[in-house]
This record gives sequence, structure tokens and C-alpha cells, in this order.
Amino acid sequence: MRVGIPQGLFYVYYYPLWKTFFTDLGVEVLSTPPSNRKIIDQGIAHAVDETCFPVKVYFGHIAELCQEEMDYLFVPRFVSVERKHYICPKFMGVPDMVRASFTKLPPLLSPLVDLSRTDKHWRKEIMKVGRHFTWRGKKIEQAYQHGMEELERFRQLTRQGYSPPEALLVWEGKKLPLPGKGDLNIGVLGHGYALYDEAISMGLIKRLREMECNVYMVEMIEKSYIESRAATLPKRVFWTLGRKIAGSALYLHQQTDIDGLIYLACFGCGPDSLIGDLVKRNMQDKPYMMLTVDEHSGEAGINTRLEAFCDMLRRRRINSESNLPTYGQLLYSLQGSVEGP
Amino acid sequence: MNCYLGIDIGSVSSNFVLIDEKGRVLLDLYMRTHGNPIRAVQEGLALLQEKVDVKELVISGVGTTGSGRYLAAVLTGADVVKNEITAHAVAAAFYYPHVRTVIEIGGQDSKMILLKNGIVYDFAMNTVCAAGTGSFLDQQAARLQIPIEQFGGLAAHAQQPVRIAGRCGVFAESDMIHKQQMGYPTEDILMGLCEALVRNYLNNVGKGKKIEEPIVFQGGVAANQGLHQAFERNLGMKINIPPYYAVMGAMGAALLAREHIENVRHSTQFKGFDFIVDSDFQTQSFECKSCPNLCEVVSIRCGDQILAYWGDRCKRWESSIKMKHSRLKVI
Repeated sequence: MRVGIPQGLFYVYYYPLWKTFFTDLGVEVLSTPPSNRKIIDQGIAHAVDETCFPVKVYFGHIAELCQEEMDYLFVPRFVSVERKHYICPKFMGVPDMVRASFTKLPPLLSPLVDLSRTDKHWRKEIMKVGRHFTWRGKKIEQAYQHGMEELERFRQLTRQGYSPPEALLVWEGKKLPLPGKGDLNIGVLGHGYALYDEAISMGLIKRLREMECNVYMVEMIEKSYIESRAATLPKRVFWTLGRKIAGSALYLHQQTDIDGLIYLACFGCGPDSLIGDLVKRNMQDKPYMMLTVDEHSGEAGINTRLEAFCDMLRRRRINSESNLPTYGQLLYSLQGSVEGP
Repeated sequence: MNCYLGIDIGSVSSNFVLIDEKGRVLLDLYMRTHGNPIRAVQEGLALLQEKVDVKELVISGVGTTGSGRYLAAVLTGADVVKNEITAHAVAAAFYYPHVRTVIEIGGQDSKMILLKNGIVYDFAMNTVCAAGTGSFLDQQAARLQIPIEQFGGLAAHAQQPVRIAGRCGVFAESDMIHKQQMGYPTEDILMGLCEALVRNYLNNVGKGKKIEEPIVFQGGVAANQGLHQAFERNLGMKINIPPYYAVMGAMGAALLAREHIENVRHSTQFKGFDFIVDSDFQTQSFECKSCPNLCEVVSIRCGDQILAYWGDRCKRWESSIKMKHSRLKVI
């Protein structure tokens, strides 16, 4: 038996769980390579015009996957992954949009992920997926348990400083060095399925590292810090990812060693337009830049903005350092007649 | 005499500035890129060569900026390659040391740069939309058959500017056509467009930014008196237009080249006027088939020698050249 998992949307958050779960049930897991030009073109051709770019790219992955023989295609229906918080409504419709857009599809496995009120249904959904491959309930439960353990191992890697795509490679057994140290500390925010997809974010993280920046991501921050900062907002952010972004932004804002924040927004993303602005209003004097991406592949725009942002941070730092009386010069000149230190 | 050359290759215009060691402008050139940055660089340098006695001047440093900065750097052997924001800020702070806000509107970009003590501390650029930039004004002027040079002057004579939608270039155009068919005078429509663009700029680029005086307005669009007036009216503040407003990016690049040569590297990599003007530069693009990304790779060559590659995401082509360069340097 073979199951196809497209490398898009929540792949970057949950792949270790899915992969382990299916493998433990004796299923071969097929996936797609990281997004590339061909996948993107196919996605744009198949997806509805009005969706955001990451959803279109996801469709491209499905088109790519459909060239292979497989028994099932795994397209979960995400509604909520925790109590009283939700995922963008587009995710709810993804399996339906997929069915409507493709003519030849293997049967879909679309468990309903809705933990907004209770996790009782979720257990049933897991069983339903597992029953396609085995009738032994215990085996299914063990596979899911094992999957959660592997997911935790993966999350541990992201906390160490690997970006999620790097952590996925390390999780699969590849040896990767931790990213090198730079002289600027920059917090990078955005929806993971956009931010960590090199084709969608135009390699934002890679570019920043090439410009000698240390990149701080939501996944690297202690969960309790994020939650406590998010709780200070006057109204609860009911999107799971949005809350994490906002909480992380508030946390990073308080850290004096973080030089600036960059928010990667997708053109046409509703949550981004709200959270991006919410973050901006709470930034006060911390440099903050919002980048909006869509289908374009021209690099001049993103390069100019990133270079200018880094230039600004470095020049600002020189300026603020020279205002500090560390060398005794400024103190002397300010006080004029007072003897130098 | 030692002097520094700044080159700004933008989407619409290509600008060249020669400054002396004190930062005085010896020569400035503003010309259209016409979609061919290589020819623009060659023509610009050929014109410079004609206008000044090159034998008397020694080019001690070259800086490039603008969206074509990498290309221009490869052709000329630039010492500094800087983004437009830093370049514009440096130039503005050179003429107005206390400047707090720089409004820069170019061909495809509009920017707002906020400075404190001569240092950029915040900036914003237009996002996905290029409404309200030079190329949109160009297009509208062409549609109305008004030379772009007269656009601002005409607009400034408006009695009662009409209301034009400023959120989107397409809506603005349909509004303009509608008003024109109703018989509103052209200058009132032009001024209405200026007002709309200013509103769009302040609400989009300047959203949430605190605009403080002194304000400097630069970039090719600063030639437009209509926009100048509209900005002053909307903000209720005085707007300064620097003497070389159209070439401030190139000016900044020249100043940065001077700073770099004086502080870091003491000799220039400039390839010389004759080499740049007389060489036959060719570009070629191809689709790299090494992986499914199918990157569009561009190569710049001069005769048999390949000067640069770019456009490949994995840098397989780009880095192959850099290695040769560094090897050459060692020898």
C-alpha cells in the first residue's frame, strides 16, 4: 500500500507524525520534492484563482504526486488543532477544492482535525484512517503514539536553531551543521507553510543568513513565553498560527538583543493582513518590516528591502554605540569643562 | 583631480553623477534606460567621456545602485554596490544634514525613509502595487498626449482639482477617463491625479509613519510641480527639493564609493572608460535543466569571457564564476 503526502501547507509542521504513523502501519509514504517552478506552474493551473499562493502551491504538489501510482492521497481537513483556536478557513475547504479541481485522483484520506471543543472525535478519525490498513485498533493507537513522539523529536530540533525544513532533514537522518553565527539578530515571522517554503518566501531565511544574520523563528521560542505575551493582547487571537506569531513578536520585541523583525505575508491572506498590522502597532521603536509575496519570481524587490533593512540595523548600531560614553570621548565633549575620565 | 562616479540604473531612468573629493557635483546625467541597462551604462559613460576631459580626472571609486546595480557593477568594476534606500538616504543627508523624512518616488518604486542624526532608522516601500510611481504618470501623460515634462506645470495651474480614486492605478485611470468624458478641464484632472497619488503614497507607503520636518522630496518624479504642491498641501509642511533631485540615488552611490575608498579599500576596481564603452557585452539567458526548478539563468559575457551569471537559485552557475575571479586575483 502506498500513501501520497504532498509537501505543502501543514507538511512542515506535522510530517514526522504522518510519516511515522503510516510507516508503522506498514504503508509506504510517497512525497514530493520541495516546491519548484514546475510544481508552482501546475498549482496555478489547477487551483482556484482566489486562494492564497501557498494553497496554489499545495495543488501543484498534488498534481506532481498524481503522476505516481498510489492507493490513497493524504489531504487532512484542518479546522482546529487546539481548544477554542482555529486554522484559516481555507484549510477546511482544501479537500473539497482538491476533489473539485482534479479529475483523476486516488481516493482521499481526509481525517477531520477539529480539536476546538473536544478531542473525542479526533481519536475516531485516527482510527478511521488506520482502519484502511489494519483492523487492529491497538496497532493504530501505538502508531499514533509513536508518531507524536517523533513529532516531539522534530520540534526539539527546531528549538535548537534549525529551521523546520532543515530539522526535517536532520530528523530523517541527514547530518547538517547548525547555522553559523552572524552579527545581527533578526526575528522572522509568518505562516510556516509560506515562510519555510523556499519557493514561496523566495529563500528569505537563506538570504538573511547569507547577509550574516542570526534568524530567530517562532519554533525556537519557549512556548510559555509566547503564550504569556499573547495573553496580554486586549482581544484573544483565535487563529492558532496568528496567536503564535503575535505572541512571538511581543516576546522578541522585549528582547534587547533582537535588532529587528521581519514579517512575511502572503498577498491575499486575511490573517496576515490583520496580524501583520497588529504586530506593527506593538513594535514602537523596534525596526519592523513587512514583506508581501505572491507569484513573482523577480529577486530585485526582496533583495533591495533586505539589504536596506540590514544596512539600516548596522548603521543604527554604529550610531547608537557612538552615543554611548564607552570610550569616554562623548562624555568629555558633552560636559566640556569637566576633566576627561 | 580625483573624483568618484555614482551610477543608478533604475527601471525607467539611468543616472550618472561625478563628484570630487569634497562631494561637489562635477557632472550629472539623467537618461532613460529604455529597457536596456547595458546600453544605458555604455551610453552614459560615453557621454561622460565626451563632456569631461577624462585625462584630467582620475576615477578613484565607483558605486552602483538601483535595481540594475549588480549588472552595472559587473560592467564597470564597481567598488560599492548598494541598495537604493541607503543610497538615497546618504545623498539626502549630505545636502540636508538634519533631514528627518525622505520622500522618494522613482519609476517603479516609491519609498519613504525616516532618518535620525543622519542615519536611517525606518523606511517603507510600496508593496505589491506600483500605482503612483513614475511609470504610471508616464503612461497617463502619454495617453493624454502631454509631454511628461509639462505634466507638473499644467497640473499646478488647476483651479479645482477633481477627485480621482487613488487606491489602484486601474481605478485611477477609469476615473480619469470618466471625468474627462464629462468635460472637466485637463489640468484639473491632472491635479486630481497628483492629489490621488499623494493620498495613496501617504496612506500606503507612509501608513503609521510619523512624518517630521525637514522633508526632502527626490527622485525623477520630484520634477512634477503638481505633486510637490499636493504634498505640501496634504502635509501642511514645507517640502524641500534638492538641487540634483533626479540623480540623488547616483549621488548617494558616489558618496558611498568615496566613503568606501577612503576607509576600507584604497584603490578602485574601475575598468576604465575605454573598456566599458568599446566592449561588446552580450547577455544570454537559458533555462537550467539540472533540477526541476528550471531557473532562468542569465550570463553576461564580454567576447569569450563570462563576466557573471545570475538567476540560479542554487548558485551553481553564480559560484562557478566567483571561483575563477578569486583565482585570478591570487595570480
